[in-house]
Amino acid sequence: MTTTSMIRMASVDKHFGELHVLRDINLEVESGQVVVVLGPSGSGKSTLCRTINRLEPIDSGIIEVDGKRLPEEGKALAGLRADVGMVFQSFNLFAHKTILENVTLGPLKVRKVGKAVAEKDGLALLERVGIANQKDKYPAQLSGGQQQRAAIARALAMKPKVMLFDEPTSALDPEMVQEVLDVMTTLAGEGMTMLVVTHEMGFARRAAHRVVFMSDGEIVEDASPETFFSNPTSDRAKDFLGKILTH
Amino acid sequence: MRLSHLTRIAAVAATVVIAATACGGQSSSLGSSGAAPSVAQGASFPAGSTMDTLNKAQTLRLGTKFDQPLFGLKGLDGKPAGFDVEIAKIIAAKLGIPADKITYTEAPSAVREEVIEQGRVDMVAATYTINAKRKERVSFAGPYYVAGQDLMVKSDNTTITGPDSLRGANAKVCSVAGSTPSENIKKYIDPANLTLFDVYSKCADALRTGQVDVVTTDNVILTGLIENSNGAFKLVNKKFTEEPYGIGIKKGDVAFCNFINQTLKEAEADGSYKAAWDSTVGKVSPEVPPLPAVAACS
Amino acid sequence: MGVIVEHFPLYAQGFLQTLRICLFSAVGALVLGTILAGFRVSPVPPLRAVGSAWVTVFRNTPLAVVLFAVAFGLPELGVNGSYFYFGVIGLTCYTAAFVCEAVRSGINSVSAGQAEAARAIGLTFSQSLSLIVLPQALRTVVPPLGSVIIAMIKNSAIVGAFGVGGDLFAQGIQLTSAQGYAAAGVLTGVLLGYLLLTIPGGILLGVLERKVAVAR
Repeated sequence: MTTTSMIRMASVDKHFGELHVLRDINLEVESGQVVVVLGPSGSGKSTLCRTINRLEPIDSGIIEVDGKRLPEEGKALAGLRADVGMVFQSFNLFAHKTILENVTLGPLKVRKVGKAVAEKDGLALLERVGIANQKDKYPAQLSGGQQQRAAIARALAMKPKVMLFDEPTSALDPEMVQEVLDVMTTLAGEGMTMLVVTHEMGFARRAAHRVVFMSDGEIVEDASPETFFSNPTSDRAKDFLGKILTH
Repeated sequence: MRLSHLTRIAAVAATVVIAATACGGQSSSLGSSGAAPSVAQGASFPAGSTMDTLNKAQTLRLGTKFDQPLFGLKGLDGKPAGFDVEIAKIIAAKLGIPADKITYTEAPSAVREEVIEQGRVDMVAATYTINAKRKERVSFAGPYYVAGQDLMVKSDNTTITGPDSLRGANAKVCSVAGSTPSENIKKYIDPANLTLFDVYSKCADALRTGQVDVVTTDNVILTGLIENSNGAFKLVNKKFTEEPYGIGIKKGDVAFCNFINQTLKEAEADGSYKAAWDSTVGKVSPEVPPLPAVAACS
Repeated sequence: MGVIVEHFPLYAQGFLQTLRICLFSAVGALVLGTILAGFRVSPVPPLRAVGSAWVTVFRNTPLAVVLFAVAFGLPELGVNGSYFYFGVIGLTCYTAAFVCEAVRSGINSVSAGQAEAARAIGLTFSQSLSLIVLPQALRTVVPPLGSVIIAMIKNSAIVGAFGVGGDLFAQGIQLTSAQGYAAAGVLTGVLLGYLLLTIPGGILLGVLERKVAVAR
């Protein structure tokens, strides 16, 4: 039973000034696993996600990706980030580049692949997320759902070892949420290692191998979706689920 | 009480006069009025003439340089001093105006014609070279002195012997923008080798640091710079132009021009011209120049 | 006014000299200023310090003092060179401080998410700046940068007074004081020369502004 940890966090602490946003976080995500992080807003779940590729530096503790400690700011960190795909709440597509250019930029400039190859792979990815026909448009010309699918394609173009999703559907109009979740579900089914911060309980039930519940900067529960949703152990989780499910 | 007061003033006045004549006594001419030209008392001039107007106004507005050592350099008392100013004082005295009634306006090279044309000054004495172009806009009395363009080099320089040696030595030459010397020197050098500043002190600095090899302008200005250089610079002493310095006045004022010319001649005769030289430029260049032949007024 | 026709070659020389000073300095200042702006937003503290020190010194010093320091300070330190390059160096260093601030404000106008996304796909800091942030900053930067460059063209008149000479304004001075032409006529020619530089410059900027605005 020697499954390798794709992500390992040990005794991670972080403050924003007075605020203790991450308290002694210990978390491992095995290769091929899909972990959904749940929790009320302000619980630190987004921050946790962003520390994994060091968009947020931490105060103390250890973070490893694929067995390697996160390097300091510099070339080595850039190299690590190339292997960790990230999808943001607000898409953050490069506004001055077309959808295809968004997807090929990383492979061209970081992976140094040829233009023809990058475009062929990029188109294939856009096909996969269902927006190949939008390839020459600029991000502002696309709907939110289309933009987020493009952002997923951009991250996948780097052939990442792990994908981080930071509330990928929170900024979307309700009718567009499903198209993004469908792409993510497919991705999970293909065996991609994923850490997903979300409020989408349906996705957690359907696609997650594990649910991690955070509150006040702590990991309060770490269980399978069935256990978490049917038998939460902590009061804070019960309270949280109560509020969500009564809607 | 009142009497003693007056007596004291008289005593002081007498002392000044004696001191003045004592200074002037060094000059040869008899009856010299010395360094402080005596103010013409009760002078009368043709009605309506510039002289008459100035005499009645009891003030003379002089345009001069405020930054030209030995000719017009503003001192700590706020008044410019130098040869140009002394010449103006001689003219003022002849007009019956005491020296302390002269008001000074700075007249840098670029605006000398303007201040005359616009009537902001009555005359300009500001190392003002007489030339045809300027004569189109103003009239000149004098000249009262003929300067000449020369070269200044570092004391150890032996390659620069005169203007004709500049091209061969590929010398970098410095002068002041907008000056006649800066135009004249163009005949002797490649324009690329000409460096222009707004003031000569910058040229002197550039010569000291080796940015340029030669500074060129009128000899008297160079003499002043050499005096300040503590032996670092020397004059090549090959005057290659004649720069007659004139008094600029309103164009066409022939009567005023003739009056100034006459005054200059008298000043040479009575020694006040020499006194003016001795107390200013003469401190550096002791040889008193002869008063140049004055040109006809027009 | 006849002076303009009479001495047209002199004006033309002056115009070309001013153009030369401005071209060298503009290229220098744009490159240096952009690099400095990069310094100011870089994650490396010493670079940030260099960037802010530069801006503090050169933005708060009169240009004449900067030019004086270069033209007379460098030779004092044993560095001899042509006054043309001293002038260009002075004007470049001075203008770069203003370019830096204009570019930095443009960088700040680009949402932080753009740089985060760039870093997240593995671009280095300088790649993220040059490929993602600066191209988007350009749109907001063009108008203030235009003002900076137009101010620089006018400032080039001061450079002429520090040994460079031969520029438009210096030629004007030469005509008025050495050759005795009336200032009004001569300076009209000088003014026309500067307008000939600044107005097409402004039009070019307008075109550029519209162009970068469309490209998104």
